[in-house]
Amino acid sequence: MSGKRVWRSLEEYQRSDAFGEMLKAEFPSIFDLWTVDRRQLLEVMGASLALAGMTGCKPVRSDDAVPFVNRPEGFIEGRTGHYATAVLFEGYAQPVLATTSGGRPIKLEGNRDHPSFGGGSTPFMQAAILDLYDPDRSQAPLFNGKPASWADFDGQMARWRDSWAATKGAGLRLLLGPTTSPTMLRQIAELRTMLPLAQVHLFDPFGGFDRVTPSGLRPIIQDADVIVSLDDDLLGPGPMQATNARAWGDRHGDIPLRERMRLLVAETTPTQTGSKADRRLGVAPTRLPSLAQAIATGVGVSSDGVRLTQKELAWTKEAARALIQARGRSLFVVGRFAPPQLHSLAIEINRALGNLGRTCKLATPVGLTSQSTEPFLDLVRDIGQRRVSTLFVLGANPLYQAPGNLDFAKLYATVPVTVHAGLHVDETGFQSKWHLPLPHALEDWSDARSPDATATIMQPVVRPIYDSRSAHEIIASLTSDQPASSKDAVRQTWAAKLPDDASWNGVLKSGFVPEEPQPAPTEPPITNTAIDVPRVGDGDFEILFRPDPTIHDGSFANNGWLQELPKPLFKTTWENVVALSPADARARGITSGDLVAVEANGRRLTGPAWVLPGQPRRVVTLFLGYGRSHAGRIGNGLGYDAFAMRDALRPWNATGKISKTGARTTLATTQEHHMLDAEGEGVVRTVTPQHPSALREGDANQDSFYPPWPGDKPAWGMVIDLDRCIGCNACAVACQAENNVPVVGKDQVARGREMAWLRVDRYFAGDPEEPETYFQPVPCMHCEQAPCEMGCPVHATVHSPEGLNLMVYNRCIGTRTCSSYCPYKVRRFNWFDYTTDAPSPTEAQRNPDVTVRGRGVMEKCTYCIQRIEAATVQADIENRPIVDGEVMTACQQACPAKAITFGNLADGGSAVRKQRSSERNYALLAEQGTRPRTTYLARLEVEPGDGE
Amino acid sequence: MASRTPALPLNQSLRDITTDVARVPLHMPARVPWLIALILSLALLALFLASITYLFARGVGIWGLNIPVNWAFAIHLYVWWLGLGHAGTLISAMLLLMGQDWRNSLNRFAEAMTVCAVICAGMEPIIHLGRPWFLYWMFPYPATMAVWPQFRSPLEWDVWAVLTYLIVSILFWYIGLVPDLATVRDRARKRGWQVFFGIFALGWRGSARHWAVWNKTYRTIAAIAVPLVVSVHSEVSLLFAAGQIPGWHSTIFPPYFVLGAAFSGFAMVAMIAIVMRHTFALGEIVTERHLDVLAKVLLAMGLMTAYGYFFEVFDAYYSGETHEIATVHDRFFGEYAWSYWGAVVCNFIPLQGLWFDRVRRSPVLLFLISTSAVVGMWLERYMILVTSLYKDFLPSSFGHYTPSFWDWSTYIGMLGLFMTPFLLFVRFLPSISIFEDKEVLAREKEEAAHG
Repeated sequence: MSGKRVWRSLEEYQRSDAFGEMLKAEFPSIFDLWTVDRRQLLEVMGASLALAGMTGCKPVRSDDAVPFVNRPEGFIEGRTGHYATAVLFEGYAQPVLATTSGGRPIKLEGNRDHPSFGGGSTPFMQAAILDLYDPDRSQAPLFNGKPASWADFDGQMARWRDSWAATKGAGLRLLLGPTTSPTMLRQIAELRTMLPLAQVHLFDPFGGFDRVTPSGLRPIIQDADVIVSLDDDLLGPGPMQATNARAWGDRHGDIPLRERMRLLVAETTPTQTGSKADRRLGVAPTRLPSLAQAIATGVGVSSDGVRLTQKELAWTKEAARALIQARGRSLFVVGRFAPPQLHSLAIEINRALGNLGRTCKLATPVGLTSQSTEPFLDLVRDIGQRRVSTLFVLGANPLYQAPGNLDFAKLYATVPVTVHAGLHVDETGFQSKWHLPLPHALEDWSDARSPDATATIMQPVVRPIYDSRSAHEIIASLTSDQPASSKDAVRQTWAAKLPDDASWNGVLKSGFVPEEPQPAPTEPPITNTAIDVPRVGDGDFEILFRPDPTIHDGSFANNGWLQELPKPLFKTTWENVVALSPADARARGITSGDLVAVEANGRRLTGPAWVLPGQPRRVVTLFLGYGRSHAGRIGNGLGYDAFAMRDALRPWNATGKISKTGARTTLATTQEHHMLDAEGEGVVRTVTPQHPSALREGDANQDSFYPPWPGDKPAWGMVIDLDRCIGCNACAVACQAENNVPVVGKDQVARGREMAWLRVDRYFAGDPEEPETYFQPVPCMHCEQAPCEMGCPVHATVHSPEGLNLMVYNRCIGTRTCSSYCPYKVRRFNWFDYTTDAPSPTEAQRNPDVTVRGRGVMEKCTYCIQRIEAATVQADIENRPIVDGEVMTACQQACPAKAITFGNLADGGSAVRKQRSSERNYALLAEQGTRPRTTYLARLEVEPGDGE
Repeated sequence: MASRTPALPLNQSLRDITTDVARVPLHMPARVPWLIALILSLALLALFLASITYLFARGVGIWGLNIPVNWAFAIHLYVWWLGLGHAGTLISAMLLLMGQDWRNSLNRFAEAMTVCAVICAGMEPIIHLGRPWFLYWMFPYPATMAVWPQFRSPLEWDVWAVLTYLIVSILFWYIGLVPDLATVRDRARKRGWQVFFGIFALGWRGSARHWAVWNKTYRTIAAIAVPLVVSVHSEVSLLFAAGQIPGWHSTIFPPYFVLGAAFSGFAMVAMIAIVMRHTFALGEIVTERHLDVLAKVLLAMGLMTAYGYFFEVFDAYYSGETHEIATVHDRFFGEYAWSYWGAVVCNFIPLQGLWFDRVRRSPVLLFLISTSAVVGMWLERYMILVTSLYKDFLPSSFGHYTPSFWDWSTYIGMLGLFMTPFLLFVRFLPSISIFEDKEVLAREKEEAAHG
């Protein structure tokens, strides 16, 4: 009998192999049960049939991957697995542990064993998982914009290979984005030997386009007692954010005063680093050379005098004194956007102070540099001279990111054959002859180094969702008709170091390659040419170009979590702003939200003004990464494009004019400008060594008519150390990833409907030109006397015996009384159905242990109750109490500075109990008598000499 | 107890009163204006239905709500509508028990207005819910999971308060209506009217026994209804006062809300009385003296409400609480100062005209002053909600609130839900109490005869 296969019962139907396979993949834990229980089978059937539409892109874990070594004992296979790998930031490895559930990666955590990261993460690391499931990712090769197959491309490649073999690669150019992959570096070296006339260019939007001398100085900030930073945003977004924040956290909080790190910052635009500095100075970029010179003079490296203002003089004097006093334990760093001469000077100063080799060292760059490749400007020149016949662009987007004055798009169109490989059909991919989809970092084999040069083998934690091919295979196919698979390529690179399966598997388990011999550092060439300080005319502004705080270079533009993440200092979302100082704004009648026109380098752009306290006068900061046209559904058409205004030879600064256009726009901010006045009194508190108690009058009175909660259960509580918090937002993104918090879009944020369960509040105090800046993460306080619980008419928010303020979504009817009564306004409401229409496959990221909330219900921070319950179940199975530190909330786990402590307050020995007994401990709005379970440790303000 | 001046002109017969009132349902005098009003009301009702259909389809996000201002129009109008309704009960029940005869010309339509307003008020918390289809969870029904409502919540008290109030209002209104329904039944010529009124007159024959039972029942329900006014609106105020939000958390709230409610309610009654008097030419029954008395009550209620305003401010400063003081400042000078000063001006400035006899007896002026009070109380409820919520404790969570198109369309449409049943009442039922007015007239005539 032929024709359709008929079935008489569901039982018979599900015996089909394909269906069983799918079932096994989707529900591995249930698979073993289904023949037993008919009722359960039917449930599974229903769910699986609904999922059948997704079989085409079903994520399946690669069989070659090796689980993380420290798997808890007795762990049930098939539930969640943890795999050590890395995601990339500016080409650098950011080591992560990927948690997979049912074969799908759902969450990334920092790798606790990694020598430099130590488990910390950044918002970018946390958000990388969402990029994996980005529905706008490129899904198949394109030829002239039309779908093509890899076979088509391979056929084309075979013909190219023959011609290159004859011409030794003449006319072939590779343009690579920043990479630290040892395998990629090896493959490039091999390519150069096989095709000596082919050239490799680096396209690093933040590294300079001409031949640039890399700084060569690698700070070891955890060993520094005093850090003087000249416009170096150590704690801000960057490949070293997590490691720097870790060092920061270790040297702050409840530690002896003499171990405390002192930070002095002079910066050209307010950053997180400046916000946390003990002494901050805001200066125009043209003043940086003078400041550096003054410090050099102060520490005796130079004898040149410079003219400084009173404030500059005071700051440089104090900085020089601090550097000298902590000789050998101090550190002088210069920001990546400063002229190379200052980097040379920094090496001199640290050498003179005896810091070299102790708080910093000379090191060869770990990745591709403009030294080891040809600079981008050479490519531009050669295209102009028609010397480029084939251009491969791998993991870069020059058509969007190239400086506007090069007019690269026009040049690109003149290249006969252009091949772009990337995650998205971006601006470059859209204009290329061929576009090839690359896999996400979690989908294929590769390797990379973190900024401290530790290498991580990146193992796939899921089979590629789309029809992509690794960059390693593409490079290999340039010279070989049988290119090695990405896994083989990586293994070949590490053949000497990891010769056998045991060592290989060991490295995969731990997530990093231990104890590699480092190449001997070479003294970087000294740049001592005179610094060209541009003249800034009257009425002109100095213009800075800086990466956007959450979208960075634009490569995160299609990531909804990062778009909706409030920028740490502005609290704006979904677009970039033009930052200017309060004094300039007042003088020109500009308020935040006014559209201003900025003219520089012969170009003009329009963006919303943002009056930024602490911004130096006559300095305007523009943020890169927005204004994209081919980012995807989320990232397209937001903000202005500042890349187009840049000049290739001076990519970080310009001089120009700003003017009011008269139009206004509504900025989607999550917090207004609020200076801490009487109303904000006591919200963020600071203490000094002389007055170490954070308690205020009225805090102590905690009388209540109600009896205390019974004490025989764990009492979960959280303490957040404001001295350690750097406001990086890693906690907020981690919370979003862990708890299936939806992205609601710009319009909803502008209406005040953002859904973040954990927000990081930012306050300013003092003079708006030189403010104190404070960060304060605010999750649910889990009040012991919770006003919200009293208001709900249907028992939808209730108190658990363990002191959690629970939210029962199923029971909620949406009266919103709880939120009206909440003094902290931490509750979030589903004004619409925010979840059902999420494009596939983003729902694959959702945490199966957390309910996805529907329309009309309230939600809020749960202290990650799913993690508490998982630990409780595990402890019950093992018949033991939960150990301190066993339950980590997502925010706590993500925090690189260890500012968040969570645990059982009823346990006398717990870390959280110890923190709570600190003198710096205080409760937010204690006078309201809500008895919050979340408390804060006041920020400590130490002046020199306090410790003695 | 006789009034100094008679409430009704003595130059009319008892029959005149019956004719004057009973002709309205049987031979509609102002057919065209009534029809125009009904069409307008039905249009508004259609707008309301369209608005809530969209609301139920999309969610409460169509309104301008957000965090922190997650209560606005629905809750503020709930309080406003309920306040309007209270005057009906006060006029009918309290003045009945106090033997104030002048109320007899006003009580019937005031009660009808109460019923309509309470229906509107009751709609608001339902449409306000995020998931209105689970409304029944607020009731203690025998759920399989044995989950009960949370009786500590002021919202739960709301459910009971409003339901009780609605039932008692309808009962009181209907029982008072029975003798007059019988009158109209007896005067009806057409068979249809006879049956219609006959059914609802419950076989009333006017026997002494009927009257004795009726009197006892009517007065008992009146005695139940009067404290309800106080308890229901006190309870409504606890919806706010039970929260810790500055501007809400105050013990003055219950009396403040009750007085404000009575104030707006009497203003509403005055407006309706003047309109009906004019439209149906009932000048002999709703007299200038009635307007005068209404105006005096309005003035008294307004002044007591003003005391509430004063004391609220005093309270904030006296407490010395930073947040309370900040909220008062925000009301005076903040983003929504217009709602505060609008309420103060609309409620209390025109009101002062009522000190003068001529103003009190002028229908036009009294109508304008009453309208101003109703608008003023609308603004006050808005002000109490929004100015308290938009800035509470933490500066980081301060926000704004702007009503959306759907906020307004739901509100304006709801006026149709209020007016449509009221217009039907005016058209089809005796809108002024015939027998009670006759009672007054008879007694007054007797007193006049005795000199």
